[in-house]
Amino acid sequence: MKELLKVNLRAHLLYYRRSRLLLAFALVFLLLTLLSALPAVFSPSRAAAFSAAREIFDMLNMFLIAFSAGLGLFLISSHLRDRNLKMVFTKPCPPALWLASTYLSAIGVSLLLNATILVCALAMSLLGHTKVQAGLAFVSADTFAASVGMIAYLMFLAMVIHPVIAVVFVLIFNPSTFYSLQIWILAVQSAGAKSVVLRALERLFHYCYMALPMVHPFSRQTQGIGQSLHVTPGQWPYLLYSLGYSLSLAALSYCLSLFFLQRKKLI
Amino acid sequence: MIEAENLSVHFPRGLLGPPIKALDGLSLEVVDGDFFALVGQNGAGKSTAMYCFLGLLHPKSGRLRVMGRVPELGSRLYESVAFLPEEPHYDLYLTVEEAVRYYAGLYGKSLPAKTIPDVLERLGLAEFRSLPLAKCSKGMKQKVGIAQCLIHPATLVFLDEPTRGLDPIIVRLFREVLREIHQRGATIVMNSHVLSEIEMLANRVAIIEKGRTIAQDTLDNLMHLEQDSYEVAIEANGDVPEWVSVQARQGPAVRGVIPAARLRDFMEVVCQPGWRLLECSLKKATLEESFIKILREKTP
Repeated sequence: MKELLKVNLRAHLLYYRRSRLLLAFALVFLLLTLLSALPAVFSPSRAAAFSAAREIFDMLNMFLIAFSAGLGLFLISSHLRDRNLKMVFTKPCPPALWLASTYLSAIGVSLLLNATILVCALAMSLLGHTKVQAGLAFVSADTFAASVGMIAYLMFLAMVIHPVIAVVFVLIFNPSTFYSLQIWILAVQSAGAKSVVLRALERLFHYCYMALPMVHPFSRQTQGIGQSLHVTPGQWPYLLYSLGYSLSLAALSYCLSLFFLQRKKLI
Repeated sequence: MIEAENLSVHFPRGLLGPPIKALDGLSLEVVDGDFFALVGQNGAGKSTAMYCFLGLLHPKSGRLRVMGRVPELGSRLYESVAFLPEEPHYDLYLTVEEAVRYYAGLYGKSLPAKTIPDVLERLGLAEFRSLPLAKCSKGMKQKVGIAQCLIHPATLVFLDEPTRGLDPIIVRLFREVLREIHQRGATIVMNSHVLSEIEMLANRVAIIEKGRTIAQDTLDNLMHLEQDSYEVAIEANGDVPEWVSVQARQGPAVRGVIPAARLRDFMEVVCQPGWRLLECSLKKATLEESFIKILREKTP
């Protein structure tokens, strides 16, 4: 079992290393980060340097979540498109193990990139003679938790639908969309419009908001950490809750993905 | 080794159309040590049958046992199974050597260090070991497929149209490898349109038509179906009798086929003065002829 996992992980890592799509994706992200950070980097004041470092850190973390989700999406969709899974499952390698290896490989790469970003942020803090903030570790860990959830969610969507449709689905049908819709309905209702349809829609949007996977499920409670990089003692437990949420989402996505993988025509 | 009874596989055809019956009550049996060939027209259900045996498709109805078990993807059953697909659907981002190592590694057993280099050397892949599969020709990809079949001593080998689109040198090498695997004691199930190749390799054949087995027998039995005529070559001194089916004529030399029932009459003719018998042999039926004859007889 361990040997099989190792063999599959090695193959997935080679895929990540050689995927031009992922490389292009990463280069675009890096370029965007550099371009947006350029003016702040040349600023002479220490406050501006801190602000620049924080902005770069924020942006890289945001891109990391998108990139991690892309790792899962591309890996699953390319294997399904190339129809090479029949070569894997006609060997004594169960689909459950192969799927676990895809999750682990994407999570591993995401963790590595996460650690690299954190190390860079720490180095920038030290070089800029600014105080190393605990918020860096918090944001980094929270980003990792969010990445785990998004990897799993996108892997599941890639298993079920075309990758382009999966991306469009995530961009349109996300919790913020339904939250905004719910707020809009509530505003209409408070303006005096009372109808059963509006009430039903408000409930529907609320349930959609609750059911769809969130990137940062405790963003309200951890608000401000990204800006100040300061964490109060009461905010630390939310990191664990966040990780718990992502792991639950990953477990659910894994089970659903496995269910669909076993029913897919791999010929 | 494989027992299939009344297998049915239907593929949906849109929302409203009736489903396509890829397999419609297919039954066959492959015994230990067979070199078994599945023969049939395009769309007859050969590949679908093979995918069922491999567990890649689940029959809608019927009973299927492979080595006494229901094939379930990735199960321990596959420890003794090797599969060479028709299309080279491999992990194209891997190099030749990485791909062979990866597929060999999926058996979860460590191999002696020399095994993979030796197999690559034998199949002429050694100099291309670091070439990505995406840049390999179809023949080279097929060699990679053969290599991954050779690495582990499989008991049951499935080959889906293994020589389609390959050059004669690779085909010859492939035949040698197959004979070797078979002599090692493996059971081979092959699906091919190249009937001459099946004649050279297989010992048992199933003819499939419209998702059903219309004939299943040893190759010898199937090929003897046509043993009711003689191939003859003569130097004629006059009109050739009408029951001689002339195939070639050059001056007085005639080559043709006669029905077995006319052999005595034929001998009387060639014993006449001026006639000369050059050759007379029992006509060897080809699998192609038997295949066409069976198809005509057993399909409406």
